[in-house]
Amino acid sequence: MSTITSTKPKSAGAGASRKAARAVKGANSADGKDGMSVKQNKTKQKMSAAAKREERTGWMFMLPFVLLFLLVFIFPIFYAIYSSFFQQVATGGGAYGGGELVNKFVGFENFKYVITSHDFWAGMGRVMLYTVIQVPLMIISALVLAMLLDSFIVKHVSGFRLGYFLPYAIPGVIAAIIWVYLYNGQISPIVKGLAAIGINVDFFASNMVLASMINITTWTFTGYNMLIFLSALQAIPHELYEAARIDGANGWQIATKIKLPNVRGAALLAMLLSIVGTIQLFNEPQVMQTADPGISRSYTPMMMAFNTSRGFLTPKGDGPSNAIAIVMAIIAGLLAMIYAFVERKVNEQ
Amino acid sequence: MKWNKGCMTAIAAVGAMCMALAGCGATSGSSSSSSSSSSGGKVELTYIHRLPDKAGMTTVEETVARWNKDHPNIQVKAIHFNGNASDLIKKLETDVKAGNAPDLAQAGYAELPEMFTKGIVEDVTAEASQYKKDFAAGTFDLMSIGGKTYGLPQDTGPLVYFYNKAEFDKLGIEVPKTQSELIDSAKKAAAKGKYIMSFQADEAGNMLTGLAGASGPWYQVENDAWKVDTDTKGSKAVADVYQQLLDSKAATTYPRWDPSFDSALQKGELIGTIGAAWEAPLLMDSMADKGKGDWRVAQVGDWFDNGEKTGPDGGSGVVALKGCEHKAEAMQFLDWFNTQIEDLTSQGLVVAATTGQAKTPSSWSEFYGGQDVMKEFATANSNLGDFSYIPGFSAVAAAMQNKAADVASGKAKASSIFEEAQTTSVNTLKDYGLSVAQ
Repeated sequence: MSTITSTKPKSAGAGASRKAARAVKGANSADGKDGMSVKQNKTKQKMSAAAKREERTGWMFMLPFVLLFLLVFIFPIFYAIYSSFFQQVATGGGAYGGGELVNKFVGFENFKYVITSHDFWAGMGRVMLYTVIQVPLMIISALVLAMLLDSFIVKHVSGFRLGYFLPYAIPGVIAAIIWVYLYNGQISPIVKGLAAIGINVDFFASNMVLASMINITTWTFTGYNMLIFLSALQAIPHELYEAARIDGANGWQIATKIKLPNVRGAALLAMLLSIVGTIQLFNEPQVMQTADPGISRSYTPMMMAFNTSRGFLTPKGDGPSNAIAIVMAIIAGLLAMIYAFVERKVNEQ
Repeated sequence: MKWNKGCMTAIAAVGAMCMALAGCGATSGSSSSSSSSSSGGKVELTYIHRLPDKAGMTTVEETVARWNKDHPNIQVKAIHFNGNASDLIKKLETDVKAGNAPDLAQAGYAELPEMFTKGIVEDVTAEASQYKKDFAAGTFDLMSIGGKTYGLPQDTGPLVYFYNKAEFDKLGIEVPKTQSELIDSAKKAAAKGKYIMSFQADEAGNMLTGLAGASGPWYQVENDAWKVDTDTKGSKAVADVYQQLLDSKAATTYPRWDPSFDSALQKGELIGTIGAAWEAPLLMDSMADKGKGDWRVAQVGDWFDNGEKTGPDGGSGVVALKGCEHKAEAMQFLDWFNTQIEDLTSQGLVVAATTGQAKTPSSWSEFYGGQDVMKEFATANSNLGDFSYIPGFSAVAAAMQNKAADVASGKAKASSIFEEAQTTSVNTLKDYGLSVAQ
């Protein structure tokens, strides 16, 4: 949160895109972001002996992070790319094989499978639809809540803030399990309550199930995004409000003319993280599948990768599974870049 | 979205991440010995299982403790696998690659072919053959592939029919004997808002396969190649019966592992269902005290052109994993463990061992109106048809489940489940690089 508020003032123009690029990388690890800004400051300085020593010290501090980062992040990515060129097949053929699987180099076969797979693109389509509906819905709700809490209308802000944020404290899988019960036609108080007033709804119907997932995600993350906005709002210098009031602005004008433009940077970041996150939709469909076998094992690309690796989908195994993951990562990266680009263009106008 | 901030790290490497760790483990693991070790004549074994170990049961650990007390030279450590049963293979596959696999692991009969093809089981033909006499013949064979044995059988899962006798009496119906009786009774019950059959999409892969398998196999090996035919006489009958039941709304469509299924049982809406024998205590759990004493177990009737036969749904054995260094000791322990009939029965298993008579636990006979449930299961066991699975059957079951969900919602015909099984079976076998006879 602190990094967001500190970079907020230069939110418009080129600053936004640089920040966006950083946000994409930084989303992987908050430490990565801090590490980079340290490095940037360093390189600007002339290299005196003292500075060099200082730099060495800096790197020493970085070392534990860099080692772990290489080991648990960079290495697995390269291993995934490597193994995506292989498939595991039985030795010796026959009915049961020779009792061993060997890695067979298949070139771009796995990628060809992913790119031509109907299931993959159907899953991608679902995720896109989900993103297009869920992200704006959540960001706008979060913004409205944050503006309300930041206004003078609401008393006892901390109580509301905690209340809105609370769903985020519940782990995603647990939240999904809770909602599976709340959606259940046989035992859910929501379904029964709606039925009592004449609305019969089946949250697991095939045309409803995506909306049911959107609801879970929105419920969980609106409060989190609200906090981002709220901290951005509270970082706006109060002199601006005073000046506006002296100029005769009313509350509505302050909200739309001062507050909204000032949280633009935070909104960009929240949108970016949300898009990257929703593309990876996994928890909700995976958990809801236990209650609804109609949710296929390739419902989202993430699920498809997971189930391919477990052998529930054919072709099975780590090669095809990694190929799915890599194609998906490329698509998510492209989307984030397109979004950042569009945002910059819009800001320039 | 913050949930995935941690997940983001894994995005490019979902499965690869753990694979990568397994990968580097493999190099270091090959030099170290497997987890079994012997020091001064003392052998240590590890055994991973996924038995329920619930309250009121004799836990595996308790049973193993008795063994350890009597056998100071063969010490066994039992590990309970907490994940999804279907995830155990993946874990073991990784463990074997890393060289730190347990010595013994639970394996479903449907899973053994896959585990063999993946190269994670150890040939124990020589060590296990002397224990063949302790188990039902069919089950011992299920632990073998191509004449080699890989472990010993533990329990079986014949399909039986569970029903609420009190409700049946009220409706004036009996357990149907023939196909037409089944459909008539189901319709009669449905007219009163009661259901004597359930269509469980999430269990379709196992149960429908078992029911179809009662009258004949799907998978046969000819000249070292698989002959796949999932559209057998039995499959056609299963599809036809369920289609009729669904068309006339005379079967429930609640998924088996969804709370709605339990709720329908508790409300007395669902008063009869086909289930594997191991579901006996699970159904008791689902219903708590509702319907206690009213339920009974019966054989599946001749509803699917199956005559007297029934099919398998689950059931498992314990295999020796690749790298097991003390195969003889492992089999000695395993034979002892798998013949602890009382302990295993308390876990809700219908044992494969024939060394003694399994007694119905008192809580069971209380729930099932004093019936000798175990005897009924033993009858079902002896009626099991021959059915074997292919490597990669989990993918077939998954595809069938998915299709079955469409069938439940009326979007597809029941016969399409078996068409899906055919294409997925052939594709999966080919993907494994195994021969398929066309």
